[in-house]
Amino acid sequence: MITTFFGSDALGSNGAFLVALVLGFGFGVALELAGFGSSRKLSGIFYFRDMTVLKVMFTAMITAMLGLHLLLAVGVITNDQIYFLPTVYGAQILGGLIFGVGFAMAGWCPGTAAVGVASGRLDAVIFLVGAMVGSVLFNELYPTLAPVYHWGDVGVKFLWAALGVSSNVFVLVFAWVAVVAFWGAEWIEKKVAGTGVYLGSRFLKVFSIAILVVGVAQAILPSATPTPVATAGAGEPALLAAVEAGEDHIEPEELADRLMAGDKTLVLVDIRTPAEFAAFHIPGAVNVSVSELPDYLAPHKNQGTIVLYSNGMTHPAQARDALARLGFNNAYLLTDGLDGFMRRVLKPVSLREAPVPSDLGAKIRAWRLFFLGSPKSSAPQPALAPAEANKLVLPEWLAQNLSRQDVRIIDVRPQPAYNSGHIPGAVRVDPEHLRGVVGGVSSMLLPGDMIARHLGLLGITPKTTVVIVPSEKLQDATLVAIALERVGHRRYAILDGGWERWVAEKRPVDTALPEVHPTEYPFDPKADTFSVDYRTVLQHSERRTAVLLDVRPADAFSGKKVEEARGGHIPGAVNRPFTSDVATTNGTTALKPVAELEQAYAGLIPSKDSPVVVSCRTGHQASQTFYVLKHLLGYRNVMWYDGGWTEWASRPELPVESKP
Amino acid sequence: MNGNGSSRSAGPKPYMNPYLAGVVLGLTLLASFLVLGVGLGASAGIARLGASLQGCIMPGHVQASEYFGSWGKAPLRYYLVYMFAGTLLGGLVSAVVSRRVQPQLERGPTAPRGLRILLALVGGVVVGFASRLASGCTSGQALTGGAMLATGSLLFLVSVFAGGYATAYFVRRQWQ
Repeated sequence: MITTFFGSDALGSNGAFLVALVLGFGFGVALELAGFGSSRKLSGIFYFRDMTVLKVMFTAMITAMLGLHLLLAVGVITNDQIYFLPTVYGAQILGGLIFGVGFAMAGWCPGTAAVGVASGRLDAVIFLVGAMVGSVLFNELYPTLAPVYHWGDVGVKFLWAALGVSSNVFVLVFAWVAVVAFWGAEWIEKKVAGTGVYLGSRFLKVFSIAILVVGVAQAILPSATPTPVATAGAGEPALLAAVEAGEDHIEPEELADRLMAGDKTLVLVDIRTPAEFAAFHIPGAVNVSVSELPDYLAPHKNQGTIVLYSNGMTHPAQARDALARLGFNNAYLLTDGLDGFMRRVLKPVSLREAPVPSDLGAKIRAWRLFFLGSPKSSAPQPALAPAEANKLVLPEWLAQNLSRQDVRIIDVRPQPAYNSGHIPGAVRVDPEHLRGVVGGVSSMLLPGDMIARHLGLLGITPKTTVVIVPSEKLQDATLVAIALERVGHRRYAILDGGWERWVAEKRPVDTALPEVHPTEYPFDPKADTFSVDYRTVLQHSERRTAVLLDVRPADAFSGKKVEEARGGHIPGAVNRPFTSDVATTNGTTALKPVAELEQAYAGLIPSKDSPVVVSCRTGHQASQTFYVLKHLLGYRNVMWYDGGWTEWASRPELPVESKP
Repeated sequence: MNGNGSSRSAGPKPYMNPYLAGVVLGLTLLASFLVLGVGLGASAGIARLGASLQGCIMPGHVQASEYFGSWGKAPLRYYLVYMFAGTLLGGLVSAVVSRRVQPQLERGPTAPRGLRILLALVGGVVVGFASRLASGCTSGQALTGGAMLATGSLLFLVSVFAGGYATAYFVRRQWQ
């Protein structure tokens, strides 16, 4: 059985280059001997005066086709050793039509023009210069043309399969059509140019019979012709054996080395959500959802190495097995997933528990340099380090980062206030625009896809650092923050002291419209793990499994003041008005010092890991407490009951407590 | 080169029987399948030469471009570039042996020189562009993919001749 350079992944080796040079030599000799060093002869086919192109091309195709078919049938070579060209309907039909126009104009095609240059043809030299210009032109237009380039990409497809016949039958018919075409070509030459020297000649008769005989022979010879597309899936026993032997894995170190070596045969697929992908991915990876994998990977079926990864290994393993059943024998999953890649490849030597041998140490440094870039690299760092995300930023910090393209300022003050002056580049967002009627309950935060659309219109991407500028009502800012969290956007901060402090410090102010380029914000439907509905709250209430923190004013909590269907609060809830967390001094409303807040909440919530549900009337004020607990004080299990007292009081089946 | 009059007297040798030339070409293609595992190709060599030359003038731009950029920093380190060099070399040896090296601008007896140059140049640009769009030319798509019976490659072949026959009439003057 033959192993090809393609099959052993060695097309980029010097050995392959040498073989290609030799094969090219044969190619050039064959073209020259046929007379293709002459543009006049080549172009003859378009005027029916010289049909040599048809004769040579058809014969060559038939020869290689029969040979390849026979060798595949008897098993001398297997189909995984050959790169089968994918079918891209749009690009190939359109490209073919355009190519034909140029071919007829110039009388050359790329291969024959090389022979033309060798034969001293000036027009071939001109043609080749033009072809280089055309290639450069394509590259320049590629950003626009990319959809056309991929238009109708259906992967490897065979015409015989599309016609519903076996490959042997198709090859036989093809051979017969070729023989008819040869006789037709000779006849045309005789009619048009008075040549057609082989028409009725003994040679053409023998040659035709030979083709027909070989065609019939390959059709009846082995019935078990391997059919490249129908390569059946490995079968469950083989699949299980591969899993047991660990053949379905690729180790992170090997992946890192191959990526560093610029291995073009690698197809690295990140199957996590777009938001996770946007936040970080292994350089060179593409983001494809699991359901789209078979379509996306069709062109790479059994060609090169497909590596799937996620954070862990469960989803990639399931996806890999499904691909194996679909006949992919080249899909692997990354051992230990992205977590393993971080731990085994990117973790700095200084942080590793086990002693690191010096050669591995050097490798780790090289990996880190390649995947993370040099520490002094000029690559733009995000405006906000992950550790600072969701915290408060000072006006001084914002002033320094005002001109950054990846910083977007959201002003939540009312329209007239914004219009008469705002931080340069800020956009105004009315927090109420992020809420609506959901499930019959009013003033609910909108679903994630609608919020993502909002963010897209504001020109925000997952890489944008969003700075929210509050006014005296901090909860307006935290409502925007919780909307960001719903779509998985973690990179945001709240301006400490808000608009008032910005003005008090005499920072720049503008009245011009901000420049906004809308984007498509990819949101992560699973990002919202903190919103809970009344059923969950009821469970916690009955079982006392969470601290139910009601942040409304005390008289609403006690039932003294009734603004809803019923007065009172959720049984078991404790009251901590949101206003207790802020203090107003000199017209500037700001959160109280963290130490003070820390102490206050320590008295209400047993530990930082205790489940807490925050709620208020409509979810608005509770968003502030949510922010304080989760981001400023570091409580790890904070939930938000958006429906709040509005919903709870309106559902008569729900219990109410009306004494504090 | 004196002495043997019979081999010296003739001009260019006659072309090979096209069917036999086709068999030679087909066997070369088959050898490529069996040894390299891929077919023949020509346009990629030209395009990579173009990318490399453009890279000499504006390296940053080429590296940053989406299509050429994917070829890396050394676009010429690719088997099809070597194959193209081999094709030139094979053509040269065969043309010399067959006494067919004739420096000329090939055109019809009364065709204007400028017209032929223009058509060769524009045709070249069009072919270079289309070869990238279709990821191959008459060698890499039509011949190679045709021998594999790949649907798209056979459609490419049909489209090439459709485009060619639609154009031929309008550019016939260059051969007259």
